[in-house]
Amino acid sequence: MEIDFDEGGVRVNKHCEREQAVTRRAFLKMMGGLGLAGLAVGAGGCLESPVRDTGGQGWLPYQYEAAGTWPVPMRGRVSIDPMNPSLVRDDAKCVLCGQCLDVCERVQAVFGHYGLPLADDVICIHCGQCTMACPTGAIAERDDTDKVWQALDDPSRFVVVQTAPATRVALGEEFGLEPGTWVAGKQVAALRKLGFDAVLDTNFTADLTIMEEGTELIKRIKGELPGKPLPQFTSCCPGWIKFCEYFYPDLLPNLSTCKSPQQMFGALAKTYYAAKRNIAPESIVSVSVMPCTAKKFEEQRPEMNDSGSFHGKTSLRDVDVVLTTRELAKMLKRKGIDLTALPDEAYDSFMGDSTGAAIIFGATGGVMEAAVRSAYFFITGQKTPADLLNLTPVRGLDGVKEAAVDIPGVGAVRVAVCHGMANGRRVLEEVRSGRAPWHFIEFMACPGGCIAGGGQPRTAVPPTDEVRTKRIAGLYSADARWVRRESHENPEVLALYREFLEHPMSEKAEELLHTEYVSRADKIRPLELSKSVS
Amino acid sequence: MAKGVLVDLTRCIGCGSCAVACKLHNGLEWDPEKPIIDEKAVLAGENWTVITSHVVAVKDREVWRFVKHQCLHCLEPACASSCFVSALRKTPEGPVVYNEDICVGCRYCMLACPFGVPKYEWDQQFPRVQKCNMCFSRVNAGQVTACTVVCPTQALRFGERDALLAEARRRIADNHAYVPAVYGEKEYGGTSWLYISDVPFEQMGFKTNVSERSIPSYTWSVLKWTPYIAVGWTAALTALYLYTKRRAEVEEDH
Repeated sequence: MEIDFDEGGVRVNKHCEREQAVTRRAFLKMMGGLGLAGLAVGAGGCLESPVRDTGGQGWLPYQYEAAGTWPVPMRGRVSIDPMNPSLVRDDAKCVLCGQCLDVCERVQAVFGHYGLPLADDVICIHCGQCTMACPTGAIAERDDTDKVWQALDDPSRFVVVQTAPATRVALGEEFGLEPGTWVAGKQVAALRKLGFDAVLDTNFTADLTIMEEGTELIKRIKGELPGKPLPQFTSCCPGWIKFCEYFYPDLLPNLSTCKSPQQMFGALAKTYYAAKRNIAPESIVSVSVMPCTAKKFEEQRPEMNDSGSFHGKTSLRDVDVVLTTRELAKMLKRKGIDLTALPDEAYDSFMGDSTGAAIIFGATGGVMEAAVRSAYFFITGQKTPADLLNLTPVRGLDGVKEAAVDIPGVGAVRVAVCHGMANGRRVLEEVRSGRAPWHFIEFMACPGGCIAGGGQPRTAVPPTDEVRTKRIAGLYSADARWVRRESHENPEVLALYREFLEHPMSEKAEELLHTEYVSRADKIRPLELSKSVS
Repeated sequence: MAKGVLVDLTRCIGCGSCAVACKLHNGLEWDPEKPIIDEKAVLAGENWTVITSHVVAVKDREVWRFVKHQCLHCLEPACASSCFVSALRKTPEGPVVYNEDICVGCRYCMLACPFGVPKYEWDQQFPRVQKCNMCFSRVNAGQVTACTVVCPTQALRFGERDALLAEARRRIADNHAYVPAVYGEKEYGGTSWLYISDVPFEQMGFKTNVSERSIPSYTWSVLKWTPYIAVGWTAALTALYLYTKRRAEVEEDH
């Protein structure tokens, strides 16, 4: 019998008779069969070793595929604090190649040169050489372009930009030009196209730095600055400054008290420049384009608000945003601005002029050469002789360079130049031991100087001396063709002293252009202690 | 024979190389929502090891410390004892490994683990339980674990657990800065991974003051009677059945 009936709108057939037709025998046969099938499947599984491992489906770089007792030459990567103002890392891109650690330890002598455990700091001088060595681009500068877009879009803000000496021989590489191609004029045009209200030059304050630093050196030599010993160390490089604060705090008195050109510029932009252009300092957004990641750290140092103190508004920062050369290229590309197609334009006429001495600040030995040119004039009052305009012993890529300059009245002034903090350590150990014969030493954290800074285009990864040499040549050939080649000849700098600062190391200059350093010795544990631990 | 890893927390600089090596070696996915180095980093199906950062006080001074988290590979793992299909097993070499082919997905192991290590792939159609396998394939091939081999400061050291324990005690004896305890020596019966530190472990999120007995030893004190009860109960019921059957037959005969 078969009954059809409706259940919830679905027609269902119910087979009463067939249900009864399943005999006990058939049921047992079916269950037995299912059981046998299950046993067979289970037995198949049981034949495999029960110890199985889900891991190990990926890969590791070859240096890690070695027997447990074998040494691994390069391992791991540098530690980057999530709060690092200069550097960030995309972990998903990291392949643990070890290049960042290698450059940090061997070229910059930072990693592996302090004891463990850590104090309350992940030791980093922010030089960014790891970003240049990273083959996958996992490590990069902290991107601050959004802050600049915001400022440019805000009509109530007056956005001032300054450009470092070294960006003008490297920015072109982001647009397919040869390393070292001089793009100063195109860079100015590009910045104007982006909408900056004033395009000014860090070179202006590079000349100013020489006025202050040269004066300070002469005062040290004459013994007019008690507690400020010789040799004097340059202070333009924020990576080097932090290195010294970490590892050689006992030599901080040797550091020139001069701020870096970027920070001098920032302090003047919101005081001298604002007053002269009749702009409210708090409406100014001070942007700098630097070849450097450490400049982002420098800008955020708490004491870098002297323009704020000057106006009695301590929240005012001397420099508001630091962009690397790469970030500027990124901004130009986003706006579809082709640098190569732009005409050459000149910097603004006020705080935009510079000399050949300022241009070579971007290369190792450049600050020293610029200082020597002006020091000669300061001491003798005479025009610098031609051979001092080409101080070849301090040029080039040798790690440590020396020169002795005869200046009538004081005799031989001995100078040294080093770049890469591993070379810096060699010089610093000499100074510490008291054997150092020099009066003045230039330190730059990055090998080759700012032209190969951590914020420059990654034209060769890792950076090569070929690229460095071409960029350096770009700077020196510009210096050679410049009309004024000595910082004390910069008419705008002379006007600044006449109208505002009075004279080098005046009270106002000390307030705005000079700074102090902090010992970071408490962040560093001696190496010996940790060796005894391991 | 049993291997282990010694973690010297005083040597960790928080670079996260170990966590990246784990991702690379095991082919694990990256999820931007689940960071591997952070104060908020947590173990997950795709994060078999993570580094957490801690601001702690040492001698009245604030210091930064980093802790690597992963499966501790208990000597007597609760996860393996709770697994009724033996998908999780403690190997003689030390690693506690997972066989995804026989796992039924009951997740008893996740409840059983006192450290909360096993994680489930909640977003997968056929989810697995995931955790550190202590690079079983590498260890079997005579290599050290992926995290150990990449550590730039030798904060991680792979070796025989006994030798590592002796090394840990030697370091503690040589330097009074260490807390005089090896985490993992006795916790829940001991673990293959051992930690030493200059900051008390409880300040960095370690579970301290725990039993020195393993969790399986607690369950075993009851479960060991299972065969006797099963056989005895069967025998008792059979005897009762035979008795009542015989009595019914006798009654029918009357």
